Amino acid sequence: MGALLVGIGAFLARTENWRAYAPLAGDPAATGGSHEHEQGHGHKPSGIIRWLTTVDHKDIGVLYGTYGVIAFLWGGVAVLLMRLELTTPTSTLIEPSLYNALLTSHGITMLFLFGTPIIAAFANYFVPLLIGADDMAFPRINAIAFWLLPPGALLIWAGFFTIPLPVDIGPAQTSWTMYAPLSAQQPNPGVDLMMLGLHLTGVSATMGAINFIATIFTERGENVTWANLDIFSWTVLTQSGLILFSFPLLGSALIMLLLDRNFGTTFFAVEGGGPILWQHLFWFFGHPEVYILVLPMMGLVSWILPKFAGRKLFGFKFVVYSTLAIGVLSFGVWAHHMFGSGMDPRIRASFMATSLAIAIPSAVKTFNWITTLWNGRIRLTAPMLFCIGFVSNFVLGGITGVFLAAIPVNLVLHETYYVVGHFHYIVMGMIAFAGFGAIYYWFPIVTGKMYQKTLAKWHFWLSMIGVNITFFSMLLMGYLGMPRRYATYDFNPALAPLASVELLHQVTTFGAFLIGLGTLVWLWNIVQSWAEGPEITDPDPWNTKRDGLHGREFAWFEEQLAADGKLATTDGGEASDASRGSSELRSDGGEADEEQLATDGDAEEQAQPTDD
Amino acid sequence: MSDRIFDRETLLDLTVNVIPLGILVFFVGAYAFIGSFPDDPVIVLIQMSIIVLTGVALSVLTYFSGKAISGAENEMDDYIPAGYSEADAEVAGVPSEPESDASDGAE
Repeated sequence: MGALLVGIGAFLARTENWRAYAPLAGDPAATGGSHEHEQGHGHKPSGIIRWLTTVDHKDIGVLYGTYGVIAFLWGGVAVLLMRLELTTPTSTLIEPSLYNALLTSHGITMLFLFGTPIIAAFANYFVPLLIGADDMAFPRINAIAFWLLPPGALLIWAGFFTIPLPVDIGPAQTSWTMYAPLSAQQPNPGVDLMMLGLHLTGVSATMGAINFIATIFTERGENVTWANLDIFSWTVLTQSGLILFSFPLLGSALIMLLLDRNFGTTFFAVEGGGPILWQHLFWFFGHPEVYILVLPMMGLVSWILPKFAGRKLFGFKFVVYSTLAIGVLSFGVWAHHMFGSGMDPRIRASFMATSLAIAIPSAVKTFNWITTLWNGRIRLTAPMLFCIGFVSNFVLGGITGVFLAAIPVNLVLHETYYVVGHFHYIVMGMIAFAGFGAIYYWFPIVTGKMYQKTLAKWHFWLSMIGVNITFFSMLLMGYLGMPRRYATYDFNPALAPLASVELLHQVTTFGAFLIGLGTLVWLWNIVQSWAEGPEITDPDPWNTKRDGLHGREFAWFEEQLAADGKLATTDGGEASDASRGSSELRSDGGEADEEQLATDGDAEEQAQPTDD
Repeated sequence: MSDRIFDRETLLDLTVNVIPLGILVFFVGAYAFIGSFPDDPVIVLIQMSIIVLTGVALSVLTYFSGKAISGAENEMDDYIPAGYSEADAEVAGVPSEPESDASDGAE
């Protein structure tokens, strides 16, 4: 072991100046004010060493993004296998035990390994740019937070890797909620590995949250105050607060469950704290987790949507205050996940009250987005399409959530596919949609290239149609009483309309494969465009300057293009005239330009292929 | 909250959080006066505290965030819209006015 450590030390010492790009407190290059990123992170090593040792927030953002995409593909393959199985009522393709394992892995992967990290990807890359910071407040902690994730994923997925091996470890079959006593009594060590992996991801998220809070409080540029902090940073700040108060609780509950499983404690045993205690602890984390995932995505849409509506976000402060309201209220609604658990009906009624109250700030945001679009100069670019799809899906996903908040409705529909349809409208229809929109919107900054417009629109329409086919069918199945989580549904047709349920399952599977096809189109588009797409030389690829909506991140991009000598030359003069003219257009949202209505922001036309 | 701390515009902005507070107050009244379950002081205490503590936390956060935002607004010489650099704002001819005023023009 000593020889190994010495060897690693020697290797790192030979690596070219590997610590030189870490910004130091006394380093004038790193503390020179806003937009000093390249100076602060100069002399990066090349190749894999760069990615293994980087503390640059942008590199770490790319790492988070890559990690999130891999997790998204894993979770997607898992669910497509499950959907194939569900095309027939009986078990035909996979064993019910594998179905249960895939169900568990799909939920945990999508929430913990895709959802939270993909938000961290955007936040790492763009929050420092948007607030005029040099980097995150604690760059090394930022790197540590990311590097806790890969071992976390390996532990969570470990049970699948050991299937072909002659060991008695399999994938966990607890569902993502890990309810006791099921999770406490399954002897499979794969459950322990999954919980340890989850614990690592929780530590990672908490470290990241502390970093974001410190960064937004202390590293803002001199012109950035609480009065003009951008909406995405507001939502990341709120999300970080939620993580800070909820993830440590999940970590504690997981430790208690591990102790119950391995050391004979009785935290969640009937003779001890009881299985309901787990539900309370889990959902006290679990419901804020919903907003941990959705608030930053709402921030992304609030930031991107106005750019293609040609107007500022309507009621900016309404959106800020409602974000904070959701953050607080999210800690008072957890037991609406447990209405059927037999708790005292008076206490249950209180959670209904708070759950109905939280619908208001959510609806406020929706009306603000719609009002921003009203009389705007709409340009249906791929980012904008995903933003509009986000709002549309939120209407369905949100309203079905309000229904579920009502105790009488909930008692009928809980544990059915109605609940699955509701929250998938949120997690796929909103969270993933906003992520895709943001990837397209910031693609020029991150890659210096432009994506392929036609493929992006195929991606959107396949996803939009697929989401609504898949999850609306689930709502209908819920009304027919189809229970969630079941690997088979070969029940007595006298109890429920089996033929209708089977047809709806097949429709759902068809929709899921449409989403899968769209995702493949997206993956191809991103990879090929990154490798071979035309280089961007226009610092304003979305043509937002004319509307006064050119953000700090694109101003930074312009500096980078200029520094690299890639900035497209302009003819000067007339641009300012256009800007002045656009000011009026922006303020009343009035006269739409036919050409702009029809095009995709002119982005690709303006992307200039280089001769290199 | 008084007008000395919050001007009219800020109070208008803060109404967005008064509505969920109003819903919470409504349910406190409804459960207190027309509850159909038998009284149990411990249960009623838990029942009311879930709603009341959530409402108090919302009020406190709304108050302090409103104070921070309006305070920062008053200290700014030129208002730069959220997320934009001063240079961008000047180039784009963005007016130097608070967002709440600017958004009124959209109607």
